[in-house]
Amino acid sequence: MDECISAILPESVQASATGIAILDDQGVVVYANPAFAVRLGRADSQALVGTSPIPAWTRSAGEDERRALERLLRAPEAGAFTLPVAGDSATTLYLEARRSDRRIVVATTGWPQPGSVPRSVVAQLDALTGLGNRAMYDEQIRCLGNAGAGQVATAVILIDLDRFKQVNDTLGHATGDSLLVLAAKRMRSAIRGDDTLIRLGGDEFVILQYRNEQPAGARAIAERLVELLQRPFLIDGHQVNSGASVGVALLGHGTSDPADLLRHADLALYEAKRQGRSRYCFFESHLESRAFERRALELDLRRALGLRQFSLLYQPQKSFSDNTISGFEALIRWDHPARGRVSPADFIPLAEEIGEIHAIGEWVMRTACQQAASWEGDPSVAVNVSPIQFESENIVTVVRHALDASGLAPERLEIEITESTLMSNTEDVMQRLWAIKAMGVGIAMDDFGTGYASLSHLNSFPFSKLKIDKSFIQAEQSPRARALMKAILAMGSSLGMTTIAEGVETLDQYEELCRGGCTTAQGYYIAKPMTPETIEHFMRACRAASHHPNLMIQE
Amino acid sequence: MDSTLYRLVYLSRNTIVGDDSRLQEEIDDILKASRRNNSRAQVTGALMFNSGCFAQVLEGPHDKIQETFERIQCDARHTHVSVLAFDPVHERGFSEWNMAYVGQDAHNLALFAGLNEASGVDFAALDGDEVYRLLRGHLEEAETA
Repeated sequence: MDECISAILPESVQASATGIAILDDQGVVVYANPAFAVRLGRADSQALVGTSPIPAWTRSAGEDERRALERLLRAPEAGAFTLPVAGDSATTLYLEARRSDRRIVVATTGWPQPGSVPRSVVAQLDALTGLGNRAMYDEQIRCLGNAGAGQVATAVILIDLDRFKQVNDTLGHATGDSLLVLAAKRMRSAIRGDDTLIRLGGDEFVILQYRNEQPAGARAIAERLVELLQRPFLIDGHQVNSGASVGVALLGHGTSDPADLLRHADLALYEAKRQGRSRYCFFESHLESRAFERRALELDLRRALGLRQFSLLYQPQKSFSDNTISGFEALIRWDHPARGRVSPADFIPLAEEIGEIHAIGEWVMRTACQQAASWEGDPSVAVNVSPIQFESENIVTVVRHALDASGLAPERLEIEITESTLMSNTEDVMQRLWAIKAMGVGIAMDDFGTGYASLSHLNSFPFSKLKIDKSFIQAEQSPRARALMKAILAMGSSLGMTTIAEGVETLDQYEELCRGGCTTAQGYYIAKPMTPETIEHFMRACRAASHHPNLMIQE
Repeated sequence: MDSTLYRLVYLSRNTIVGDDSRLQEEIDDILKASRRNNSRAQVTGALMFNSGCFAQVLEGPHDKIQETFERIQCDARHTHVSVLAFDPVHERGFSEWNMAYVGQDAHNLALFAGLNEASGVDFAALDGDEVYRLLRGHLEEAETA
């Protein structure tokens, strides 16, 4: 060993379990430790000295691998490369950046012993999987920027395990770690020697693919990864199913700056998840504009409460039995100075996703109770509560505080939930529903008939009211539709629930429901949603009209 | 290391394309490789095959099963892998075989084809024990014959 080598390497190198070799400026091996020879399936490390890596290391490799290694050796930057060795084992070579005409190569099948290899290589490896880490990604992207982008169509393939969190939560972190290790191995089996596989952190992996046949090359790997990771794993005596979503960004195909690759791949990944997971998506520019729009909407939404941009409208509900207004449904409106009126269909799902629904839902509950408390004649007020709100114990407190603060009689409050509320974590949800019911508040099942329309859901809780979805009311009046409606109404009444039809728009629909024995109706035929200020006037007009039943009330 | 004996039963769809001789070549190759690997890994088991599907039973220590299964999973010759059973067992059912081959003879094929038909596309409807018993039954029959 010459002096230069002694200066670079710690003394333990010779005995290290990590394979280490040093190349000179011509790329010839000047040193290899015994572990390095073992990793390459060779008996004697001394025999490697003086040889050239291409013929000496790639005996069992194909033409592709040989060329890829050649390219890596020519470039002065750091790189990683997986080489098939005899049998079915593989060795990953980490090539240090060339310095003072020397280059260090580390060969490993697992995690190298800390301290036995040069610090900069260790710093670029992930301790759990032995793959490259975030630092290696940054380093490679930096080199790509220096080399001048566009020479090779680099692909960044971002992989996220779909059910990693559930595995961690239900089977424990040790099982989660094993899943990561096994998933990493599967990914490694799907890539070529000159692709770089990196664990960015958590359950996020990235593959850097340098080759010209794009997007075909990236598509082939993405497809294979989705398939491979969908297959079951066997861990700690369990069958574990994870699945993965994949996002791809390509230099020269919608991405021009290497620094944008990861962000674009992330947007594509988000899209893959949005489309239902276990699939891959390529980055497209509209994903970016959509993300910007979504982010702007999110910011506006987070400010809307503070800036008092929400208001409530109330839609009357009319009782068939005595032709009087029995209650109102509170409906949220968002008026944004620049956007105008934003539809709840657009902002409620976003509010649910970012958790803002808790604050908005609390405001609605408080405001509706407050305003209803001042109404004459004690009509009820129905408030929609999101399934997300029921995921928190806080919903019970929210209802109690709204009642206490407003002085509204609990019997006049009715909360409307959808079937999806009962889909997850049912025991906790049931407990919360019972707690609210115990205060005297009514609980209505909203949108019945459109979702699961599950009878076991109806049976799982004593709902006070069944709200029939407007699609039934507005459907063409065929004998079948009529029979179905009749059955729903009969079921409601025999289960002791009142029934309300929403979206009633015509006299025909109204009379049909009346004949069928429906309890209450809501819709444009009765009245449009109205501001709280107009309710008093409306109620007065209704009372006058109820003495003349044939007179229709218009707002 | 956990020395508990585990049994894995899985089904998968065959993606080998080609005529019968090509198929037979691939099967021979699979058997040769699995017998070599399994004897090293203390894994025993049986493989059943028809033109549409593979059914395989593997038994051995947990980590060896895991290792073997991962290798199988990355094999491009099959797809739609469905695990029917993965449970601790008291004893091996195929202790004599590194990988017994419950081949392709007409009788087996008919039975196996019936198995496929019963489960349709949805392998998960099949019972792991059923496949295990079927494979064992064939081997016992072959021994007494």
